Amino acid sequence: MSADTKIAELLTELHQLIKQTQEERSRSEHNLLNIQKTHERMQTENKTSPYYRTKLRGLYTTAKADAEAECSILRRALDKIAEIKSLQEERRIAAKSARVQSDNDPPRKTMRRGVLMTLLQQSAMTLPLWIGKPGESPPPLCGAIPASSDYVAKQGDKVAARVKVVDGDEQWILAEVVSYSHSTNKYEVDDIDEEGKERHTLSRRRIIPLPQWKANPETDPEALFSKDQLVLALYPQTTCFYRALIHTPPHRVSHAPQASNPTSSVVQCQTRTRTLLVLCQKSSSSFGSEKNTSE
Amino acid sequence: MSELKDCSPLKYYDFKPVDHVRLCPRYTAVLGRSEDDGIGSGELDTLQLELETLLSSASRRLRALEEQRQILTDWQDKKGDKRFLKMGKDPDPAATPRHKPKKQKLDGKGAHGQGPGPGRPKSKNLQPKVQEYEFTDDPQDIPCTPKNDAPNRFWASVEPYCADITNEEIRLLEELLKPLEDEAEYFKIPALGKHYSQRWAQEDLLEEQREGARANDKKKGIMGGPLSELDAKDVDSLLKKSESQHESQEDGCPFGPLTQRLLQALVEENIISPMEDSPIPDISGKDADGAGTSPRSQGKAFRLAKEEMHKQGLRQRVRVADNEVMEGFRRIMAARQKKRTPTKKEKDQAWKALKERESILKLLDS
Repeated sequence: MSADTKIAELLTELHQLIKQTQEERSRSEHNLLNIQKTHERMQTENKTSPYYRTKLRGLYTTAKADAEAECSILRRALDKIAEIKSLQEERRIAAKSARVQSDNDPPRKTMRRGVLMTLLQQSAMTLPLWIGKPGESPPPLCGAIPASSDYVAKQGDKVAARVKVVDGDEQWILAEVVSYSHSTNKYEVDDIDEEGKERHTLSRRRIIPLPQWKANPETDPEALFSKDQLVLALYPQTTCFYRALIHTPPHRVSHAPQASNPTSSVVQCQTRTRTLLVLCQKSSSSFGSEKNTSE
Repeated sequence: MSELKDCSPLKYYDFKPVDHVRLCPRYTAVLGRSEDDGIGSGELDTLQLELETLLSSASRRLRALEEQRQILTDWQDKKGDKRFLKMGKDPDPAATPRHKPKKQKLDGKGAHGQGPGPGRPKSKNLQPKVQEYEFTDDPQDIPCTPKNDAPNRFWASVEPYCADITNEEIRLLEELLKPLEDEAEYFKIPALGKHYSQRWAQEDLLEEQREGARANDKKKGIMGGPLSELDAKDVDSLLKKSESQHESQEDGCPFGPLTQRLLQALVEENIISPMEDSPIPDISGKDADGAGTSPRSQGKAFRLAKEEMHKQGLRQRVRVADNEVMEGFRRIMAARQKKRTPTKKEKDQAWKALKERESILKLLDS
């Protein structure tokens, strides 16, 4: 399939980019060492004569240019990874719709619960981190920043959807967008947990798009949920959202794959004490009308 | 500001690059691989995380570098233009020379006029050695005051006392001396008026009424508005009437005007001695006692000022006469040098100048 070859090509390009990155980094190391030496001398001997200051300024300018080059290559590498991932995603969606349409093929083995959960956790962990250039502020759908009012989720995007459960209750579930109709302003979404759940057709008001970037607590703390904020949070081994209050926002981005709560926040639910994955913020309007939210 | 320890705003950040061998193992592994081995699609996630780590560290380094560089630039400009009011925003050291400030005149230290010059790294090498030395010493100097300012400051402080008297000052004294015309008004003792405790009690009452009216307003809404306003107005007018009636009676003395007159007559006849906080308002005027100083002392200052002015004028004339005498002397000396006797004209001039000077001096001394 052409998608495979394309992906292979991109992987090779990524490899090259990574090598270039390291070249750039080792090149700039020398200058950083010089800066360190100058710092030491200036601090221990208390010399801040204009000579030293000018020298330092020159070193800083060089280091700045190096850092900019390094950032730009790293961004290209990350973009390449995003490109590969989106190709993979497209492949998955194509396969899925092909599956749905053709009745002749034997039904695919539905994924086991555990596998699904692991995949979910993995995708949450590898949500790209937003690293803005100096002066850039985090965009909508980064961390706690809500989507713009005219945003339409694309096919394959994950959303929180408020659906009516069997006994008339309403529940927020994790769902994937299938399509959006501009004429009726309604989304078609699939429950992530494909076990026999049907496709839902819901109005826009019942859909909250999930964040597409993680926020870095060190550089963009304003894109995080703050303490005591009311949010919708996902239990680690389920696909439903529950109301919760933020207990502690994160201090730094954790990358360790073993972390149990790798995305944006650590949350403590009102009634239970387990930590949850927070993925989105409830919209207050839709919550006002809810009467029976299971907690 | 140029104290070394106080004003070094630099933060010596540790710009160590990320130790990728330790923190980014997958990245390091990929680096080691050849083109053929390449990257597996399963490795993408870990690579992404590691690259993000590198990028965020580089990004932070970039921001810190920019911030520190800006501090350095500002500092550089601040040091070069110590006397300037606005901080140099120009980061380019080769910028065209800045205009010398007017403030420089006030500082006695002329040597530092070259200050901005040596500040630029480019021109540093061209400057004469002395100035370079001076400039590099700057950080150790205590702030940029010129070396020997004391005499200037002394004379500046003494100046108001030694300066010549001007006409303005004379005018000021005259104005002070002018006896106040409309003093009579100040001598009227105003009536005592109502005692403060009673006045406050009344005001509190009014306040409560107003608040009650306001509360009523809120309850009644618009309809009740005009009504309660009217009520309040009525109440106010009633209160005022009663007040005025009371006040006239409590005007200093509760006994009425007739009693006052009687008492005053008795006091004048020396039958009753005047009481201390007397209920009798004092009608008679006081002697012109302007501004709390005795007329004698006031006039004295004025007189002295005038005398001093006169003397100043004389002194001025003495100075002129001095110059003339000097002129005459010089002429005679010149004539002597030329080995001719001074002409009669010159001698007369010299004598005249001398005599004039003497007469002025005599006037001055008298």
